Amino acid sequence: MSVEINHISKKFGKNPVLRDISLKIETGELVALLGPSGSGKTTLLRIIAGLEFADEGQVSFRDQDVSSQSAYQRKAGFVFQHYALFNHMTVFQNIAFGLKVRKRSERPSRPEIQKRVEALLKRVQLEGYGNRYPAQLSGGQCQRVALARALAIEPQVLLLDEPFGALDAKVRKELRRWLRQFHEETHLTTLFVTHDQEEAFEVSDRVVILNDGVIQQQGSPDEVIQNPANQFVNEFLDTK
Amino acid sequence: MAGIVNNITTKAKEQVRPPRVTTEAPWLRATLIGVVTVFVIIFLLLPLLLVFKEAFSKGIMTYFSVFQDSASRHAILLTLLTAVIVVPLNTIFGIAAAWAIVRFEFKGKRLLASLIDLPLWVSPVIGGLIYALMFGAHSHLGLWLQEHDIHIIFAVPGIVIATTFVTFPFVARGLIPLMQAQGKAEEEAALTLGANGWQLFFRITLPKIKWGLLYGMILCNARAMGEFGAVSVVSGHIRGKTNTIPLHIEILYNEYQFAAAFAVASLLSLLALLTLILKSYTEWRAAQHLKVSTT
Repeated sequence: MSVEINHISKKFGKNPVLRDISLKIETGELVALLGPSGSGKTTLLRIIAGLEFADEGQVSFRDQDVSSQSAYQRKAGFVFQHYALFNHMTVFQNIAFGLKVRKRSERPSRPEIQKRVEALLKRVQLEGYGNRYPAQLSGGQCQRVALARALAIEPQVLLLDEPFGALDAKVRKELRRWLRQFHEETHLTTLFVTHDQEEAFEVSDRVVILNDGVIQQQGSPDEVIQNPANQFVNEFLDTK
Repeated sequence: MAGIVNNITTKAKEQVRPPRVTTEAPWLRATLIGVVTVFVIIFLLLPLLLVFKEAFSKGIMTYFSVFQDSASRHAILLTLLTAVIVVPLNTIFGIAAAWAIVRFEFKGKRLLASLIDLPLWVSPVIGGLIYALMFGAHSHLGLWLQEHDIHIIFAVPGIVIATTFVTFPFVARGLIPLMQAQGKAEEEAALTLGANGWQLFFRITLPKIKWGLLYGMILCNARAMGEFGAVSVVSGHIRGKTNTIPLHIEILYNEYQFAAAFAVASLLSLLALLTLILKSYTEWRAAQHLKVSTT
Protein backbone atom coordinates (compact mmCIF):
# COMPACT_ATOMS: atom_id res chain seq x y z
CA MET A 1 0.00 0.00 0.00
CA SER A 2 1.31 3.44 -0.86
CA VAL A 3 1.31 6.25 1.68
CA GLU A 4 1.09 9.86 0.63
CA ILE A 5 1.47 12.97 2.75
CA ASN A 6 0.32 16.27 1.33
CA HIS A 7 1.34 19.65 2.72
CA ILE A 8 1.31 18.60 6.36
CA SER A 9 1.87 21.32 8.95
CA LYS A 10 1.72 20.93 12.69
CA LYS A 11 2.31 23.23 15.66
CA PHE A 12 2.61 22.35 19.33
CA GLY A 13 1.25 25.48 20.93
CA LYS A 14 3.11 28.20 19.06
CA ASN A 15 6.05 25.97 18.07
CA PRO A 16 5.93 24.77 14.48
CA VAL A 17 7.22 21.16 14.38
CA LEU A 18 6.32 20.35 10.78
CA ARG A 19 6.15 22.90 7.99
CA ASP A 20 4.39 22.01 4.76
CA ILE A 21 5.72 18.47 4.38
CA SER A 22 4.89 16.38 1.32
CA LEU A 23 6.18 12.87 0.82
CA LYS A 24 5.17 9.74 -1.05
CA ILE A 25 6.11 6.23 -0.05
CA GLU A 26 5.51 3.71 -2.80
CA THR A 27 4.08 0.27 -2.23
CA GLY A 28 6.78 -2.10 -1.04
CA GLU A 29 9.32 0.61 -0.27
CA LEU A 30 11.42 0.74 2.90
CA VAL A 31 12.02 4.37 3.76
CA ALA A 32 14.07 5.80 6.63
CA LEU A 33 13.08 9.11 8.15
CA LEU A 34 16.38 10.47 9.42
CA GLY A 35 17.00 13.57 11.50
CA PRO A 36 18.31 14.96 14.77
CA SER A 37 16.06 15.00 17.83
CA GLY A 38 13.46 17.71 17.61
CA SER A 39 13.36 17.59 13.82
CA GLY A 40 9.72 16.49 13.80
CA LYS A 41 10.29 12.97 12.44
CA THR A 42 8.43 11.17 15.23
CA THR A 43 5.53 13.62 14.99
CA LEU A 44 5.28 12.94 11.26
CA LEU A 45 5.19 9.18 11.89
CA ARG A 46 2.52 9.61 14.57
CA ILE A 47 0.43 11.74 12.20
CA ILE A 48 0.58 8.96 9.59
CA ALA A 49 -0.57 6.42 12.19
CA GLY A 50 -3.38 8.66 13.43
CA LEU A 51 -1.93 9.08 16.93
CA GLU A 52 -1.54 12.78 16.27
CA PHE A 53 -3.48 15.06 13.95
CA ALA A 54 -2.02 17.62 11.58
CA ASP A 55 -3.19 21.24 11.63
CA GLU A 56 -3.12 21.32 7.84
CA GLY A 57 -2.69 18.84 5.00
CA GLN A 58 -3.81 15.30 4.20
CA VAL A 59 -2.63 11.74 4.74
CA SER A 60 -3.66 9.22 2.10
CA PHE A 61 -3.38 5.44 2.17
CA ARG A 62 -3.59 3.89 -1.31
CA ASP A 63 -4.88 7.20 -2.73
CA GLN A 64 -7.67 7.37 -0.14
CA ASP A 65 -7.78 10.31 2.23
CA VAL A 66 -7.59 8.95 5.79
CA SER A 67 -6.94 12.32 7.46
CA SER A 68 -10.15 12.24 9.47
CA GLN A 69 -9.82 8.60 10.52
CA SER A 70 -8.62 7.77 14.01
CA ALA A 71 -5.74 5.42 14.74
CA TYR A 72 -8.01 2.46 15.41
CA GLN A 73 -9.60 2.81 11.99
CA ARG A 74 -6.31 3.20 10.12
CA LYS A 75 -4.69 0.15 11.72
CA ALA A 76 -1.16 0.91 10.63
CA GLY A 77 1.32 -1.47 12.23
CA PHE A 78 3.14 0.73 14.74
CA VAL A 79 6.26 -0.16 16.75
CA PHE A 80 7.25 2.14 19.61
CA GLN A 81 10.74 2.96 20.80
CA HIS A 82 10.02 1.73 24.31
CA TYR A 83 8.00 -1.28 23.06
CA ALA A 84 4.72 -0.25 24.80
CA LEU A 85 3.95 -3.90 25.46
CA PHE A 86 0.93 -4.68 27.62
CA ASN A 87 2.70 -5.60 30.83
CA HIS A 88 -0.28 -7.35 32.40
CA MET A 89 -0.56 -9.76 29.46
CA THR A 90 1.61 -12.64 28.38
CA VAL A 91 3.59 -12.51 25.14
CA PHE A 92 0.90 -14.63 23.52
CA GLN A 93 -1.90 -12.33 24.68
CA ASN A 94 0.06 -9.29 23.51
CA ILE A 95 0.39 -10.64 20.01
CA ALA A 96 -3.20 -11.89 19.89
CA PHE A 97 -4.62 -8.56 21.14
CA GLY A 98 -5.18 -7.00 17.71
CA LEU A 99 -7.06 -10.09 16.56
CA LYS A 100 -9.14 -10.45 19.71
CA VAL A 101 -10.47 -6.89 19.65
CA ARG A 102 -11.94 -7.35 16.19
CA LYS A 103 -15.68 -7.42 15.63
CA ARG A 104 -17.15 -10.90 16.07
CA SER A 105 -17.77 -11.23 12.34
CA GLU A 106 -14.13 -10.49 11.49
CA ARG A 107 -12.49 -12.21 14.42
CA PRO A 108 -10.56 -15.39 13.62
CA SER A 109 -11.52 -18.52 15.54
CA ARG A 110 -9.58 -19.49 18.64
CA PRO A 111 -7.49 -22.21 16.96
CA GLU A 112 -6.85 -19.82 14.08
CA ILE A 113 -5.55 -17.14 16.48
CA GLN A 114 -3.40 -19.77 18.18
CA LYS A 115 -1.97 -20.79 14.83
CA ARG A 116 -1.24 -17.24 13.74
CA VAL A 117 0.43 -16.26 16.99
CA GLU A 118 2.62 -19.37 16.89
CA ALA A 119 3.64 -18.51 13.34
CA LEU A 120 4.50 -14.94 14.34
CA LEU A 121 6.52 -16.13 17.34
CA LYS A 122 8.49 -18.32 14.97
CA ARG A 123 8.93 -15.43 12.55
CA VAL A 124 10.53 -13.28 15.27
CA GLN A 125 12.50 -16.22 16.66
CA LEU A 126 10.68 -16.39 19.99
CA GLU A 127 9.15 -19.86 19.82
CA GLY A 128 8.23 -21.11 23.26
CA TYR A 129 8.08 -17.63 24.81
CA GLY A 130 4.29 -17.32 24.56
CA ASN A 131 3.60 -17.78 28.26
CA ARG A 132 6.17 -15.30 29.54
CA TYR A 133 5.40 -11.78 30.65
CA PRO A 134 7.17 -8.76 29.13
CA ALA A 135 8.98 -8.11 32.44
CA GLN A 136 10.75 -11.46 31.97
CA LEU A 137 12.19 -10.55 28.56
CA SER A 138 15.26 -8.62 27.43
CA GLY A 139 14.93 -5.39 25.47
CA GLY A 140 15.62 -7.06 22.15
CA GLN A 141 13.07 -9.77 22.87
CA CYS A 142 10.50 -7.15 23.88
CA GLN A 143 10.95 -5.29 20.62
CA ARG A 144 10.54 -8.52 18.66
CA VAL A 145 7.28 -9.18 20.51
CA ALA A 146 6.21 -5.63 19.64
CA LEU A 147 7.00 -6.33 15.98
CA ALA A 148 5.02 -9.58 16.05
CA ARG A 149 2.12 -7.78 17.74
CA ALA A 150 2.08 -5.09 15.03
CA LEU A 151 2.29 -7.69 12.26
CA ALA A 152 -0.54 -9.79 13.72
CA ILE A 153 -3.20 -7.46 12.36
CA GLU A 154 -1.69 -7.86 8.89
CA PRO A 155 -1.14 -4.14 8.41
CA GLN A 156 -0.76 -2.61 4.96
CA VAL A 157 2.00 -0.36 6.24
CA LEU A 158 4.55 -0.76 9.03
CA LEU A 159 5.62 2.33 10.99
CA LEU A 160 8.62 2.07 13.31
CA ASP A 161 9.51 4.84 15.76
CA GLU A 162 13.21 4.55 16.65
CA PRO A 163 12.62 0.83 17.02
CA PHE A 164 16.17 -0.05 17.97
CA GLY A 165 17.03 3.12 19.86
CA ALA A 166 16.75 1.61 23.33
CA LEU A 167 18.80 -1.51 22.56
CA ASP A 168 22.49 -2.23 22.89
CA ALA A 169 24.71 -2.12 19.80
CA LYS A 170 24.89 -5.87 19.15
CA VAL A 171 21.16 -6.48 19.42
CA ARG A 172 20.52 -3.39 17.37
CA LYS A 173 22.61 -4.74 14.49
CA GLU A 174 20.90 -8.13 14.63
CA LEU A 175 17.43 -6.62 14.54
CA ARG A 176 18.41 -4.27 11.77
CA ARG A 177 19.46 -7.20 9.62
CA TRP A 178 16.32 -9.05 10.60
CA LEU A 179 14.18 -6.09 9.50
CA ARG A 180 15.93 -5.85 6.14
CA GLN A 181 15.50 -9.55 5.52
CA PHE A 182 11.90 -9.46 6.61
CA HIS A 183 11.28 -6.64 4.17
CA GLU A 184 12.93 -8.54 1.37
CA GLU A 185 10.59 -11.47 1.97
CA THR A 186 7.34 -9.57 2.42
CA HIS A 187 7.80 -6.20 0.71
CA LEU A 188 5.56 -4.62 3.28
CA THR A 189 5.56 -0.83 2.86
CA THR A 190 7.68 0.37 5.76
CA LEU A 191 8.62 3.75 7.18
CA PHE A 192 11.03 3.93 10.06
CA VAL A 193 12.27 6.83 12.10
CA THR A 194 15.85 7.01 13.30
CA HIS A 195 18.50 9.51 14.30
CA ASP A 196 21.23 7.00 13.46
CA GLN A 197 22.45 7.54 9.89
CA GLU A 198 24.34 4.26 9.79
CA GLU A 199 21.11 2.47 10.55
CA ALA A 200 19.19 4.49 7.96
CA PHE A 201 21.75 3.84 5.21
CA GLU A 202 22.16 0.16 5.98
CA VAL A 203 18.50 -0.76 6.07
CA SER A 204 16.52 1.50 3.76
CA ASP A 205 15.88 1.85 0.02
CA ARG A 206 15.43 5.58 0.40
CA VAL A 207 16.41 8.08 3.07
CA VAL A 208 14.41 11.19 3.90
CA ILE A 209 16.39 13.72 5.94
CA LEU A 210 14.35 16.00 8.14
CA ASN A 211 15.44 19.05 10.11
CA ASP A 212 13.45 21.75 11.85
CA GLY A 213 10.19 20.45 10.40
CA VAL A 214 11.38 20.62 6.78
CA ILE A 215 12.57 17.86 4.43
CA GLN A 216 16.19 18.69 3.61
CA GLN A 217 16.88 15.94 1.12
CA GLN A 218 15.64 12.57 -0.01
CA GLY A 219 17.11 9.86 -2.17
CA SER A 220 18.89 6.54 -2.10
CA PRO A 221 21.65 6.20 0.52
CA ASP A 222 24.34 6.55 -2.20
CA GLU A 223 22.80 9.69 -3.67
CA VAL A 224 22.57 11.37 -0.31
CA ILE A 225 26.10 10.47 0.73
CA GLN A 226 27.65 11.56 -2.57
CA ASN A 227 25.63 14.72 -3.12
CA PRO A 228 24.49 16.32 0.11
CA ALA A 229 21.86 18.89 -0.87
CA ASN A 230 22.83 21.59 1.59
CA GLN A 231 25.07 22.52 4.45
CA PHE A 232 22.84 20.97 7.09
CA VAL A 233 22.88 17.55 5.42
CA ASN A 234 26.60 17.81 4.91
CA GLU A 235 27.25 18.62 8.55
CA PHE A 236 24.72 16.11 9.87
CA LEU A 237 26.31 13.28 7.89
CA ASP A 238 29.75 14.46 8.85
CA THR A 239 29.24 14.34 12.59
CA LYS A 240 29.80 10.61 12.75
CA MET B 1 39.25 -9.05 39.21
CA ALA B 2 39.21 -11.95 41.66
CA GLY B 3 41.30 -9.82 44.01
CA ILE B 4 38.72 -7.07 43.97
CA VAL B 5 35.90 -9.50 44.65
CA ASN B 6 37.87 -10.97 47.54
CA ASN B 7 38.55 -7.57 48.89
CA ILE B 8 34.87 -6.68 48.83
CA THR B 9 33.79 -9.84 50.57
CA THR B 10 36.32 -9.44 53.37
CA LYS B 11 35.23 -5.85 53.76
CA ALA B 12 31.63 -6.95 53.92
CA LYS B 13 32.51 -9.39 56.68
CA GLU B 14 34.23 -6.73 58.74
CA GLN B 15 31.41 -4.28 58.32
CA VAL B 16 28.30 -6.17 59.35
CA ARG B 17 26.04 -3.14 59.25
CA PRO B 18 25.66 -1.41 55.89
CA PRO B 19 27.00 2.17 55.81
CA ARG B 20 24.38 4.77 56.69
CA VAL B 21 23.08 7.08 54.00
CA THR B 22 21.92 9.68 56.49
CA THR B 23 24.46 11.70 58.40
CA GLU B 24 22.39 12.57 61.51
CA ALA B 25 23.95 11.69 64.84
CA PRO B 26 22.59 8.53 66.50
CA TRP B 27 21.16 10.47 69.46
CA LEU B 28 19.17 12.67 67.09
CA ARG B 29 17.76 9.68 65.27
CA ALA B 30 16.82 8.01 68.54
CA THR B 31 15.14 11.18 69.84
CA LEU B 32 13.12 11.72 66.67
CA ILE B 33 12.02 8.11 66.45
CA GLY B 34 11.17 8.17 70.16
CA VAL B 35 9.09 11.35 69.93
CA VAL B 36 7.09 10.03 66.99
CA THR B 37 6.51 6.68 68.67
CA VAL B 38 5.34 8.25 71.93
CA PHE B 39 3.08 10.63 70.02
CA VAL B 40 1.51 7.81 68.04
CA ILE B 41 0.93 5.75 71.18
CA ILE B 42 -0.61 8.58 73.24
CA PHE B 43 -2.69 10.27 70.59
CA LEU B 44 -3.64 7.43 68.28
CA LEU B 45 -3.22 4.00 69.83
CA LEU B 46 -4.38 4.59 73.41
CA PRO B 47 -7.66 6.30 72.43
CA LEU B 48 -8.38 3.44 70.07
CA LEU B 49 -7.81 0.91 72.86
CA LEU B 50 -9.98 3.01 75.18
CA VAL B 51 -12.85 2.81 72.71
CA PHE B 52 -12.80 -0.98 72.95
CA LYS B 53 -12.28 -0.96 76.73
CA GLU B 54 -15.30 1.31 77.25
CA ALA B 55 -17.36 -0.65 74.76
CA PHE B 56 -16.90 -3.83 76.80
CA SER B 57 -17.05 -2.08 80.20
CA LYS B 58 -20.56 -3.39 80.97
CA GLY B 59 -19.78 -6.88 79.74
CA ILE B 60 -19.96 -8.71 76.48
CA MET B 61 -23.74 -9.18 76.71
CA THR B 62 -24.40 -5.45 76.88
CA TYR B 63 -22.00 -4.99 73.99
CA PHE B 64 -23.94 -7.24 71.70
CA SER B 65 -27.35 -6.12 72.97
CA VAL B 66 -26.58 -2.67 71.54
CA PHE B 67 -26.71 -4.15 68.08
CA GLN B 68 -30.16 -5.65 68.83
CA ASP B 69 -31.55 -2.16 69.31
CA SER B 70 -33.61 -1.11 66.28
CA ALA B 71 -32.24 2.46 66.18
CA SER B 72 -28.66 1.17 66.11
CA ARG B 73 -29.49 -1.37 63.45
CA HIS B 74 -31.16 1.26 61.36
CA ALA B 75 -28.16 3.56 61.70
CA ILE B 76 -25.83 0.77 60.55
CA LEU B 77 -28.06 -0.09 57.61
CA LEU B 78 -28.37 3.56 56.59
CA THR B 79 -24.59 4.00 56.71
CA LEU B 80 -24.12 0.88 54.58
CA LEU B 81 -26.77 2.06 52.12
CA THR B 82 -25.08 5.46 51.83
CA ALA B 83 -21.69 3.86 51.18
CA VAL B 84 -23.17 1.45 48.62
CA ILE B 85 -24.54 4.40 46.64
CA VAL B 86 -21.71 6.89 47.15
CA VAL B 87 -18.67 4.70 46.50
CA PRO B 88 -19.72 3.55 42.99
CA LEU B 89 -20.83 7.09 42.10
CA ASN B 90 -17.53 8.60 43.14
CA THR B 91 -15.61 5.78 41.49
CA ILE B 92 -17.19 6.68 38.16
CA PHE B 93 -16.76 10.43 38.74
CA GLY B 94 -13.19 9.89 39.88
CA ILE B 95 -12.17 7.82 36.86
CA ALA B 96 -13.82 10.33 34.51
CA ALA B 97 -12.12 13.27 36.21
CA ALA B 98 -8.69 11.61 36.30
CA TRP B 99 -9.00 10.55 32.68
CA ALA B 100 -9.98 14.05 31.56
CA ILE B 101 -7.16 15.70 33.49
CA VAL B 102 -4.40 13.26 32.56
CA ARG B 103 -5.28 12.55 28.94
CA PHE B 104 -6.73 15.78 27.56
CA GLU B 105 -5.34 19.26 27.05
CA PHE B 106 -7.92 21.98 27.54
CA LYS B 107 -8.32 25.47 28.94
CA GLY B 108 -9.08 25.61 32.64
CA LYS B 109 -7.54 22.20 33.24
CA ARG B 110 -5.56 23.37 36.26
CA LEU B 111 -8.58 25.09 37.73
CA LEU B 112 -10.59 21.89 37.33
CA ALA B 113 -7.82 19.90 38.96
CA SER B 114 -7.84 22.22 41.97
CA LEU B 115 -11.63 22.25 42.16
CA ILE B 116 -11.58 18.48 42.60
CA ASP B 117 -9.81 19.12 45.89
CA LEU B 118 -12.38 21.67 47.07
CA PRO B 119 -14.10 19.25 49.48
CA LEU B 120 -10.76 18.72 51.21
CA TRP B 121 -10.26 22.42 51.87
CA VAL B 122 -13.67 23.38 53.19
CA SER B 123 -15.13 22.21 56.46
CA PRO B 124 -17.62 19.39 55.88
CA VAL B 125 -20.19 21.46 57.80
CA ILE B 126 -20.07 23.99 54.98
CA GLY B 127 -20.57 21.18 52.49
CA GLY B 128 -23.70 20.24 54.38
CA LEU B 129 -24.90 23.83 54.63
CA ILE B 130 -24.59 24.38 50.88
CA TYR B 131 -27.07 21.58 50.24
CA ALA B 132 -29.31 22.58 53.14
CA LEU B 133 -29.63 26.01 51.54
CA MET B 134 -29.98 24.64 48.02
CA PHE B 135 -32.66 22.08 48.74
CA GLY B 136 -34.14 23.65 51.90
CA ALA B 137 -37.42 25.55 52.21
CA HIS B 138 -35.60 28.87 51.77
CA SER B 139 -34.86 28.39 48.06
CA HIS B 140 -37.09 28.23 45.00
CA LEU B 141 -35.85 24.75 44.30
CA GLY B 142 -36.66 23.75 47.86
CA LEU B 143 -40.22 25.14 47.61
CA TRP B 144 -40.75 23.39 44.31
CA LEU B 145 -39.53 20.12 45.80
CA GLN B 146 -41.86 20.61 48.76
CA GLU B 147 -44.83 21.17 46.45
CA HIS B 148 -44.09 17.95 44.63
CA ASP B 149 -43.56 16.09 47.88
CA ILE B 150 -39.92 15.23 47.11
CA HIS B 151 -37.81 14.94 50.25
CA ILE B 152 -34.11 15.60 49.98
CA ILE B 153 -33.11 17.52 53.08
CA PHE B 154 -33.74 15.65 56.35
CA ALA B 155 -34.03 12.49 54.28
CA VAL B 156 -31.80 9.82 52.77
CA PRO B 157 -31.12 11.62 49.43
CA GLY B 158 -29.68 14.61 51.33
CA ILE B 159 -27.35 12.33 53.29
CA VAL B 160 -26.20 10.65 50.09
CA ILE B 161 -25.59 13.99 48.34
CA ALA B 162 -23.64 15.49 51.27
CA THR B 163 -21.53 12.33 51.59
CA THR B 164 -20.83 12.33 47.85
CA PHE B 165 -19.58 15.91 48.15
CA VAL B 166 -17.22 15.16 51.02
CA THR B 167 -15.78 11.95 49.53
CA PHE B 168 -15.49 13.19 45.95
CA PRO B 169 -11.69 13.79 45.77
CA PHE B 170 -10.39 10.43 46.99
CA VAL B 171 -10.62 8.31 43.83
CA ALA B 172 -9.51 11.07 41.44
CA ARG B 173 -6.65 12.16 43.72
CA GLY B 174 -5.27 8.63 43.80
CA LEU B 175 -5.59 8.02 40.08
CA ILE B 176 -4.17 11.25 38.64
CA PRO B 177 -0.50 10.77 39.69
CA LEU B 178 -0.69 7.04 38.93
CA MET B 179 -1.99 7.60 35.40
CA GLN B 180 0.56 10.35 34.83
CA ALA B 181 3.37 8.01 35.88
CA GLN B 182 2.17 5.21 33.63
CA GLY B 183 1.91 7.33 30.51
CA LYS B 184 -0.26 6.54 27.51
CA ALA B 185 2.03 4.40 25.35
CA GLU B 186 0.12 1.17 25.98
CA GLU B 187 -3.18 2.87 25.15
CA GLU B 188 -1.70 4.20 21.93
CA ALA B 189 -0.41 0.75 21.01
CA ALA B 190 -3.88 -0.68 21.60
CA LEU B 191 -5.38 2.03 19.40
CA THR B 192 -3.11 1.21 16.46
CA LEU B 193 -4.09 -2.44 16.89
CA GLY B 194 -7.72 -1.50 16.31
CA ALA B 195 -9.13 -1.39 19.85
CA ASN B 196 -12.12 0.92 20.33
CA GLY B 197 -12.71 3.13 23.38
CA TRP B 198 -14.41 0.52 25.58
CA GLN B 199 -11.90 -2.19 24.74
CA LEU B 200 -9.12 0.29 25.49
CA PHE B 201 -10.55 1.07 28.91
CA PHE B 202 -11.49 -2.40 30.06
CA ARG B 203 -8.54 -4.34 28.60
CA ILE B 204 -5.67 -1.87 28.98
CA THR B 205 -6.40 1.08 31.28
CA LEU B 206 -8.42 -0.65 34.00
CA PRO B 207 -5.96 -3.54 34.56
CA LYS B 208 -3.18 -0.96 34.85
CA ILE B 209 -4.90 1.25 37.41
CA LYS B 210 -6.88 -1.36 39.34
CA TRP B 211 -4.80 -1.26 42.54
CA GLY B 212 -4.70 2.51 42.64
CA LEU B 213 -8.41 2.57 41.96
CA LEU B 214 -9.13 0.10 44.74
CA TYR B 215 -7.02 2.19 47.09
CA GLY B 216 -9.08 5.30 46.30
CA MET B 217 -12.33 3.35 46.71
CA ILE B 218 -11.27 2.07 50.13
CA LEU B 219 -10.45 5.58 51.35
CA CYS B 220 -13.68 6.88 49.84
CA ASN B 221 -15.64 4.14 51.61
CA ALA B 222 -13.98 4.79 54.98
CA ARG B 223 -14.71 8.48 54.74
CA ALA B 224 -18.28 7.89 53.56
CA MET B 225 -19.06 5.65 56.54
CA GLY B 226 -17.39 7.95 59.05
CA GLU B 227 -18.63 11.31 57.76
CA PHE B 228 -20.18 13.41 60.52
CA GLY B 229 -20.18 17.16 59.81
CA ALA B 230 -21.86 17.42 56.43
CA VAL B 231 -24.33 14.65 57.17
CA SER B 232 -25.15 16.20 60.54
CA VAL B 233 -26.40 19.38 58.85
CA VAL B 234 -28.64 17.72 56.28
CA SER B 235 -29.88 14.70 58.19
CA GLY B 236 -32.13 16.29 60.81
CA HIS B 237 -31.16 13.55 63.32
CA ILE B 238 -34.42 11.64 63.11
CA ARG B 239 -33.76 8.50 65.11
CA GLY B 240 -34.47 5.32 63.20
CA LYS B 241 -34.86 7.34 60.00
CA THR B 242 -31.99 9.64 59.13
CA ASN B 243 -29.32 8.71 61.66
CA THR B 244 -26.07 7.27 60.38
CA ILE B 245 -23.55 5.49 62.63
CA PRO B 246 -21.55 8.63 63.57
CA LEU B 247 -24.73 10.61 64.32
CA HIS B 248 -26.11 7.72 66.33
CA ILE B 249 -22.94 7.58 68.40
CA GLU B 250 -23.27 11.26 69.22
CA ILE B 251 -26.89 10.85 70.33
CA LEU B 252 -26.07 7.87 72.53
CA TYR B 253 -23.17 9.75 74.04
CA ASN B 254 -25.26 12.84 74.76
CA GLU B 255 -27.80 10.61 76.49
CA TYR B 256 -25.05 9.30 78.79
CA GLN B 257 -25.31 5.78 77.32
CA PHE B 258 -21.54 5.52 77.28
CA ALA B 259 -21.23 1.75 76.88
CA ALA B 260 -23.67 1.80 73.97
CA ALA B 261 -21.98 4.80 72.36
CA PHE B 262 -18.58 3.15 72.59
CA ALA B 263 -19.93 -0.18 71.37
CA VAL B 264 -21.19 1.45 68.18
CA ALA B 265 -17.98 3.46 68.01
CA SER B 266 -15.96 0.25 68.21
CA LEU B 267 -17.71 -0.88 65.06
CA LEU B 268 -16.50 2.21 63.22
CA SER B 269 -13.02 1.72 64.69
CA LEU B 270 -12.93 -1.86 63.46
CA LEU B 271 -13.87 -0.55 60.07
CA ALA B 272 -11.00 1.94 60.28
CA LEU B 273 -8.55 -0.83 61.17
CA LEU B 274 -9.83 -2.98 58.34
CA THR B 275 -9.42 -0.01 56.01
CA LEU B 276 -5.88 0.49 57.20
CA ILE B 277 -4.99 -3.13 56.49
CA LEU B 278 -6.66 -3.09 53.07
CA LYS B 279 -5.06 0.25 52.28
CA SER B 280 -1.56 -0.99 53.12
CA TYR B 281 -2.15 -4.09 51.05
CA THR B 282 -3.36 -2.20 47.98
CA GLU B 283 -0.54 0.32 48.37
CA TRP B 284 1.93 -2.51 48.37
CA ARG B 285 0.31 -4.14 45.35
CA ALA B 286 0.19 -0.83 43.48
CA ALA B 287 3.91 -0.29 44.13
CA GLN B 288 4.66 -3.80 42.88
CA HIS B 289 2.53 -3.16 39.84
CA LEU B 290 4.26 0.10 39.00
CA LYS B 291 7.65 -1.52 39.50
CA VAL B 292 6.80 -4.28 37.05
CA SER B 293 5.33 -1.94 34.45
CA THR B 294 8.31 0.41 34.43
CA THR B 295 11.00 -2.24 34.09
